[in-house]
Amino acid sequence: MIAYDRAGLDALLIRDAAQEWCRQGLLSEEQWLAVQAQHKSGFYSPNVFVRIGLAIFTLVLLSAALGLGALISDLNSETGFALLCLFFGLVLFLMLELWIIGSARHYGSGVDDMLLYFGTSLLLGGLYMLMPSGSQPLDYACVTLPFLVVGSIRYLDRLMTAAAFGYALMILMLLLMKSPQLALFAMPFAGMLFAGGVYFLARHGQSRYAWRHWHSALAVLELLAIVLFYVSGNYWVVQQAGYGWFQIEQPPIAWFFWIFTFAVPLAYLYFGLRRKDRLMLDVGLGCVAVAVFTYRAYFHVMPLAWAAVLGGAVLFAVAYFSIRHLRKTKGVYTYDADADKTLLQEIEQQLIAQHLAQQPAPAPNKDASLGGGQFGGGGADGQF
Amino acid sequence: MHPHFLRLLLQLELITPDDATRIERFESARPFSLHWELKTLLYLGVLLLNLGLGYLIYQNIDSVGHAALIALIGAVSATCFWYAYRRRQPFSPGETESPTPYYDYVLLLGCLLFLVMEGYWQYQYQIFGTRYGLATFIPMVLFFGLAYRLDNRGVLSLGITALASWLGIAVTPQDLLAHNDFNSETIVNTGILLCVLLSAVPFLSELRDFKKHFSITYLNFGVHIGMIACLSGMMALDRPLLYFPMLCVAVGFFIWYARTRASLYFLTVAVLYGYIGFTYMLLNYVTDMDFMFYLLYFILSCAGVIVFLLNYKRFIKTDAP
Repeated sequence: MIAYDRAGLDALLIRDAAQEWCRQGLLSEEQWLAVQAQHKSGFYSPNVFVRIGLAIFTLVLLSAALGLGALISDLNSETGFALLCLFFGLVLFLMLELWIIGSARHYGSGVDDMLLYFGTSLLLGGLYMLMPSGSQPLDYACVTLPFLVVGSIRYLDRLMTAAAFGYALMILMLLLMKSPQLALFAMPFAGMLFAGGVYFLARHGQSRYAWRHWHSALAVLELLAIVLFYVSGNYWVVQQAGYGWFQIEQPPIAWFFWIFTFAVPLAYLYFGLRRKDRLMLDVGLGCVAVAVFTYRAYFHVMPLAWAAVLGGAVLFAVAYFSIRHLRKTKGVYTYDADADKTLLQEIEQQLIAQHLAQQPAPAPNKDASLGGGQFGGGGADGQF
Repeated sequence: MHPHFLRLLLQLELITPDDATRIERFESARPFSLHWELKTLLYLGVLLLNLGLGYLIYQNIDSVGHAALIALIGAVSATCFWYAYRRRQPFSPGETESPTPYYDYVLLLGCLLFLVMEGYWQYQYQIFGTRYGLATFIPMVLFFGLAYRLDNRGVLSLGITALASWLGIAVTPQDLLAHNDFNSETIVNTGILLCVLLSAVPFLSELRDFKKHFSITYLNFGVHIGMIACLSGMMALDRPLLYFPMLCVAVGFFIWYARTRASLYFLTVAVLYGYIGFTYMLLNYVTDMDFMFYLLYFILSCAGVIVFLLNYKRFIKTDAP
């Protein structure tokens, strides 16, 4: 079922666990070395920068190869091009299976990722072109979903898992839209139910030992489900959707959605802390911000600048006193850094590192003409 | 998942039953870390305060309240610096740990608000008159001083940004006399100069064993500024014969650095910029070929780069310092 070598994947998981125990001083250095010696994955998984570089160059190479294929085969019909895409996609998958994953033992190297994405895109693109011209978005989504599901199961790919979630949701919503009368009332609740179902599947799956290799993919599903659940009942989203699709100024049972908008973030925070569930806690923090924005979208209580100052001060104070409290009292919660970073934190670390470098320069910045948006993007807060 | 691995390791006799019970106890009693969440809140707080106060000033520029506002910003900034001064660690040429968890964020807030305040003074009272260079020179000196004294890489980044705009400003008054394209050429050359400067600092600091851990910040700015300057010299100024050799030197330097210091980041970045430059040269100078030729070029060159990157372990020196 999995394209990658299962023994190698197990070795990676065991090494990760043992490394953390060694870091915590629970295993001796010799034991850690012995674990490393006995559990060799043998995968080629380079550092993240090399991975990005390899993915970029693989993308350019494959695009050029597709162009060359089209040029040589001298096609002049759409069907011909569709067949070329399908053929090329199949070749890529054979390469991926037999060569890159099979003999070269790549795992998350950038090459295997890009071959998977490019191959899937080609197969789907080819099928789209072959479909009858009157096809609806629903038809396209139904064709796409199986590929994404198979791709995420067989190649343990997190991006594909996220895309599969998105397409499944889209199919659900498009089906509901077929009966507009029902859709108006059912849509928010359908979203919530869907999110709840995915959440329990993801939670259950993560606790199953047999499904251990899909752990990170299921974590992505869990994250998306938590986010979707809140989004489905958020007043702003419901009101905008109702206005956009059914021209209704105020959605029915507005009071329910207002309560939902504020209660769910608090519930996320509460259960996140209570159950030591980091994903729920982090999403809860984000949802609190969304709830504040939702309120501001309908009631202008304060000018933006003052709100930012006040919000900033409150955030800083909350964090300051929490850290002080945590450092004084040792208990279930701690301020000490944890070793295992979640997906969100990895993303955040990258963002912060980038943001610091982007702090606006204190001058009308002539360097902007250097071409890169990376540095000296003219001051966002308008100094001078 | 842990119990399964634990049992497996126990079966393989890699750990003793004693270890297993210890690990079991540790995993069940493990405290829940709120480190990242709280740090994020601190950072967002600083950012929002800076944005909000910055906006407020410009909204109220001609109103009665602006004097009070500027006093408030000055007071907050001064408090931050005072806090940073009071809690400072003794100076060391190596890396020092932050005295408190909030220390870095308080210092960052102080620096950002200082910029807001200084910018306002210049806007409203022209305290530096037309000597715009001075307006960026002062924060630059302040930030570099603070970064080195208090060992803070975030403030160092601010200092380098200030340095870049100071150099940008210092050459612009001549622009008034010159043509537009001359203008952009000075910018390109300044960028290259800045790249040389920023790339030289790490070697001096390594030689003197003085704040060696700042190297990565300098080089990260240096590599992007320098490479983009060379590329815009080639493309926008249309002087490839002058700037392409410079790009080659820069790419060579950073690949050499990556090789000796085992830095995969600089390896990837240098290879990417180098490839863009080389491809531009090829497309610019080999113009009368069949379309197929270019496709083949992309296929073969990318395959070459991929093979090179795949074998990075053989290229990088693992015994690097």
